[in-house]
Amino acid sequence: MTEKMLLIRGNLHRTKGQVIAEILLILLAAGMMNLWLMLSLDYRQNFDRVHKKLNGEHVTLCIAGAEEQMQRDIADILEKEKRTQEFSIDDAMYIPGGIEYNGGETTTSFVLLKKEDALNRSIGKIELVEESEYTEGVYLPMIYKTGEITVGKKVSLTIGSKKMTYQVCGFFNSVMTGSHNCGMCEILLTEKTYQELEEKGYAPQSTLVSVRIADKSESENFETMLNHKVSEKYPLLSTISNSYALVSQSRYISQMICSGVVSAMAFFVLMIVLVVIASNIRNDIQENMKNLGVWKGLGYQSRQLIGSFLLQFLGITVLAALVGIALSYSLFPGVNDMMVSQTGIPYEVHFLPIPLLITLTVLWGTVAVTVWFSCGRIRKITPIDALRQGVQTHNFKRNYVPLDQTRLPLHAALSMKTTLTERKHNVTVWITMWMVSLIMVFSGLMLENVIVDMTPFMELVVGESTDSCININTEAEETFLREMEKDDRVEKVYLYHSQTVEHIGGAELVAIFSDDFSKVNNQKVVIEGRFPEFENEAAVAVKYARENGWNIGDEIRLGEGKKEENYIISGFTQISNNLGRDCILTREGYERLSKPGNLSYYLNLSEDVEIDEFNQEISRRFAEDVNRTLNVLEVVNGTSAVYISLMEVIVAAILLLSVLIILFVLYLLARTILNKKKKEYGVLKALGFTTAQLIFQTALSFMPTVILSTVTGLIVSSWVINPLTAVFLRNIGIVKCTFYVPVGFTAAAGIWVIVFAFAAACLLSWRIKKTVPRVLLANEL
Amino acid sequence: MKKHLFLFCMSLTFLLEGAAAFLFFREKDSGAQDVVAVNRVVKTLERDWNHLDKHKNATELDYAVLDSEGNLLWKTREDLSESMNAAIAHRDTILDLSQEGNTLGKVLIYNNSEDVFTERRRAAVTGIGVLSLIQILLFGSYGFLLYRKMVLPFHKLEGFAERIAGGNLDVPLEMDRQNLFGVFTESFDLMRAELKRARLAEAEANAEKKELVAKLSHDIKTPVASIKAAAEVGSALAEDKKIRENYQQIIQKADQINRLVTNLFTATLEELQELPVQPIDMESSELQNLLENADYLCRAEKVHVPSCLIWADRLRLQQVFDNIFANSYKYADTAIEVQAERTSSQILIVIEDFGGGVPKEELFHLKEKFFRGNNAKEVEGAGLGLFISDHFMKRMDGAFLVENGTKGLRVTVAVSLSGRI
Amino acid sequence: MKKTCVEAENLSKSFSSGGNLQHVLKNIDLELYQGDFTVIMGASGAGKSTLLYALSGMDTPSLGKISFGGNIISDLDQDGLAVFRRKHCGFVFQQIYLIDGMSVMDNVLAAGLLISKDKKAVIQRAKELFQAVDLPEETQRKFPAQLSGGEAQRVGIVRGLINSPEVLFADEPTGALNSKTGLDVLDTLTKFNEQGQSVVMVTHDTRSARRGNRILYLKDGRILGECDLGRYVHGDKQRHEKLSAFLTEMGW
Repeated sequence: MTEKMLLIRGNLHRTKGQVIAEILLILLAAGMMNLWLMLSLDYRQNFDRVHKKLNGEHVTLCIAGAEEQMQRDIADILEKEKRTQEFSIDDAMYIPGGIEYNGGETTTSFVLLKKEDALNRSIGKIELVEESEYTEGVYLPMIYKTGEITVGKKVSLTIGSKKMTYQVCGFFNSVMTGSHNCGMCEILLTEKTYQELEEKGYAPQSTLVSVRIADKSESENFETMLNHKVSEKYPLLSTISNSYALVSQSRYISQMICSGVVSAMAFFVLMIVLVVIASNIRNDIQENMKNLGVWKGLGYQSRQLIGSFLLQFLGITVLAALVGIALSYSLFPGVNDMMVSQTGIPYEVHFLPIPLLITLTVLWGTVAVTVWFSCGRIRKITPIDALRQGVQTHNFKRNYVPLDQTRLPLHAALSMKTTLTERKHNVTVWITMWMVSLIMVFSGLMLENVIVDMTPFMELVVGESTDSCININTEAEETFLREMEKDDRVEKVYLYHSQTVEHIGGAELVAIFSDDFSKVNNQKVVIEGRFPEFENEAAVAVKYARENGWNIGDEIRLGEGKKEENYIISGFTQISNNLGRDCILTREGYERLSKPGNLSYYLNLSEDVEIDEFNQEISRRFAEDVNRTLNVLEVVNGTSAVYISLMEVIVAAILLLSVLIILFVLYLLARTILNKKKKEYGVLKALGFTTAQLIFQTALSFMPTVILSTVTGLIVSSWVINPLTAVFLRNIGIVKCTFYVPVGFTAAAGIWVIVFAFAAACLLSWRIKKTVPRVLLANEL
Repeated sequence: MKKHLFLFCMSLTFLLEGAAAFLFFREKDSGAQDVVAVNRVVKTLERDWNHLDKHKNATELDYAVLDSEGNLLWKTREDLSESMNAAIAHRDTILDLSQEGNTLGKVLIYNNSEDVFTERRRAAVTGIGVLSLIQILLFGSYGFLLYRKMVLPFHKLEGFAERIAGGNLDVPLEMDRQNLFGVFTESFDLMRAELKRARLAEAEANAEKKELVAKLSHDIKTPVASIKAAAEVGSALAEDKKIRENYQQIIQKADQINRLVTNLFTATLEELQELPVQPIDMESSELQNLLENADYLCRAEKVHVPSCLIWADRLRLQQVFDNIFANSYKYADTAIEVQAERTSSQILIVIEDFGGGVPKEELFHLKEKFFRGNNAKEVEGAGLGLFISDHFMKRMDGAFLVENGTKGLRVTVAVSLSGRI
Repeated sequence: MKKTCVEAENLSKSFSSGGNLQHVLKNIDLELYQGDFTVIMGASGAGKSTLLYALSGMDTPSLGKISFGGNIISDLDQDGLAVFRRKHCGFVFQQIYLIDGMSVMDNVLAAGLLISKDKKAVIQRAKELFQAVDLPEETQRKFPAQLSGGEAQRVGIVRGLINSPEVLFADEPTGALNSKTGLDVLDTLTKFNEQGQSVVMVTHDTRSARRGNRILYLKDGRILGECDLGRYVHGDKQRHEKLSAFLTEMGW
């Protein structure tokens, strides 16, 4: 051991700068990896912890009716069901509505509860996280706690078609009904407020059913079963429900995106760390051939020498990784805040041993393997060869770019010589620049498709977006359509209605139907096959189809109420807001199962039409026949704001990261070149080359590879980025991405990267200034 | 390099072959009927039943339509099964067409799996053929390369070895750098060159040895001759040995006395002179600091010292300047003028005060030890300062001069330049 | 009257090693003349190479002034010196210092193309010089590692002369060579000197010193003495003895 420590001390002393850069890279890799593991391993578990703490329900059902007979019937159903563990049935008000949030209106189904009732529930408990002295008003889920909505301020809620303004009394945490992402969202009202609203009759008297079941993996089936049985008995009452499976995913969409991106970054940085370590060790061995020969001559075995390298790098790795992990803990609160604003579930940052162990093990393992393989050459060194290596007799390198023949200017020619002789550096540069290119293209993709123009991303997440959505009674359909055709503010009107159907023997699916899918704005919803054309066809969510192993052409059985019909799968869709639980039918196809009582029409309006005014006008004009209008654009904007801020942070972070990576890698390479060429630079300086010329030459020698690798990297990345992004978004039901790759941005980023790399290389070659021709006469004064 | 390229190409073609084979065997389900397209055929036919002449095939399938009696109503092209029987024989897909529960007729969808399989087989054969061809080409060119790089050079070596064996060392071996064993041929040629060089060196060494023997024999003759001649003259002049020896003795004794007296005198000075003076090379700019340190009352202006290397002991030189300034403070107590000047071998520091100097008769005794001037009675001191300064400067190969200047006592410290002693 | 090309006044050079200053050159005054083959002799550590490098602008003196063809170079910074060197000085090193990764021709051209835009002329000059030092065409395509020491040093001389410098500075050019190839190199230098090229050579080898017409003897950083030998004539015994006498006097 002591002898190894001696060797290590020598190594470290010689390669101080290099070690520092390696440490920083490992630190970054460890930090990102730990962050990723914490996000992906513990963050989701937090949901279960909170779920357990609040004795959370597994299936929630809300029915727009409060007759005692019905409540008894439901209790009966639940009691008879073997899977039921415990349940609770409470009075509530249930109404679709919206809340002004993050600069847009977010729509959801509100479940309005009396505060006292809610707090006394045995399951699906509610935890108040903030309270105040206001005695009358509302308590909101903590996800809505933003700059605009705080205790003491007023909040305006859309309840049905009425706008109500309430005093915010506090915020609460509810695991299954605490966010618009849950399908329904609880609001607690104080006694008096509740009564006032009840008296006004804006929202119908309803029943809230919460059920805990024995096996939570059954939650979806249970939900379908319950829905089925209830709608069988009370077909006229509208219901809404959710399940543990749905909520536990939907509340964590952004966490999944974020951890996906972080994991990719961690992987890239780790790759670069390994490449850098490998190339450093190779260079080290090359440069130190003589010393290693001497050590061997003194009787050291290859094993001991390799052992010293291993020990050194593993030591560095552990230290750097621990610091990196510490760093990730210091970053985590920031990430956590961002995440909590998306999930609406509080999370306490605490120490997590498993991510730490995994991070350490992975880093250790990969570094050890890399070091081991890179050190292979040590075994081949014999002391005699190594000692003679200084007097190389044979050298059959080609004379690249002969100066008497080339047309390049002198400095360019000399740089090219370096480029072509130092090929191992080119490999490192190549890999780094490819990674950086991928990062750049990803940033560009996110900038363009999420931040600059939200449409592609929203189409992916929301599915269909338009300006206005109007829900009318079926009887008024013809009149409505006639009027709309005449209205020149309306550019396009098409049916786009969703209704839940049941996959017989499976989950409940959201069935979307239209009478003409060619009118639909987002044709990309179907990613394979085609929209259904005939009444016996259906396009199903690709995620659900894969779970069931279906191919196009297979038949599925759907049902609603008592009716069941077979459908041929004509295509696969991806719409992430139902998390892969949806299907598309033709109108005739849906009507085979049931006649819808009301229909949602989507309208594209002319640019200058005020959507809200238009909606109000239509509501007035059709009076009783319009059930509900929706400003879809505003909803989309509200949702997008959240994603935009998330993506802005991610893009900024990864751009910073790529700058750091370029700097580190170029530093290491420049250092190696300078060390290797110390004598050569001395000679060139003696011959009259100035420092600036040599710096320029060195920096220039990186350029061919940098340019080539960046350009090819950008092209290849642009090509693979969509499938790659799809891999990260797989969890939210996305299988195929069709983002637009911004050519302008990519090209600009490429140029920027190249210029930056050049500037950085110049800066990092500054050490040439220290080389003076005096080194040539070191042997004699 | 070529080897790597070859291996790379080979493994690439193997990979491609593997991939092609994998795809071929994996794609087994492509023979299945396209259900969605069939559904489209059925649905469009049902829709268009009443005006079949306007029906258009919207799929890639071929089919024939029969009415309920089995008469052919419509077909996409010739050579299809046109009756139920033919369709069954051909394993075609036969489906009923119906409208609102009434059967209208049948559609016979042509079974094209044979065509598909033939097509696939042909593609596979072509693909594998092309890849094999590439492999053959690769092997061929590599073989050719090996021949050029290995077999041919060996032929060349044969002739070379014969020449060397025959003693002809002048013809070098032509080398090809790209050659697989270029290193080997180069060493071979090096061996030839070394052999040739060794032969030449051997001849040269023989010639030098002869030259040396001739020279030495000539050189030794001369001194031997001189010694012989002197001995002859001495013995010829000798008359009275005893008188000559006596005279010799008298001179020796006188020399001895002189030496003893000198020793006695110097012994007393030793205590003082034992102070070590160790001059080193230093930059003349340091003189400025020394002068400033000595002039703690700041009586002198700052002086510019020409830059060069001087030979001095920093500590002793400081003592010298201290003495000079202290004396001036004690006896003159006026402003002091300092000048520095460089001569070819020394730097002269001239320090003069405005005290009027000393009487002429005392001037010469100033540097003697224990000497104190008339005006020194009421001032403390031992009278050693200038004596020691003088001694120090001599030990530094410099000089120390005291004289009366125009305004007062002028002391010149001459410090030697390095390399100019 | 000989024309002065380099003039050093009060030249000193100190190095700090391990905290204390080491004075290698001490107050040297020196003039070098055009067309001379000046030899700087002295024992190891006498400061010969330091003097050479200070005179040639490779290194800045600690004290003193150097004027080179009327330009004062002692005040220039490193880059200024580099630009000065490429135009006015040629160098031949003991360790030869050819650049391993470049062919012989490229080694020479890398220096030559630094100041000349006329590539053809530079290549032409390089070829002439190669011919003059008796290096055949195929050698020009070789790599330094493939050359013998003597060949490499002759390439070094070609590189030193490619820009037609006013003075060629040679630092123990034969130090790393065996005696036979050393002689070749000396012959080459002598030949160029006879054609009017000023040469300054550092050596501690008497046989090399014989080639000079002016011998400077350096000891402990100062010029102990100098000797005018007159032009080199092959096999001139008198010259030879004069040098021996001078060196003996100097304590060689």
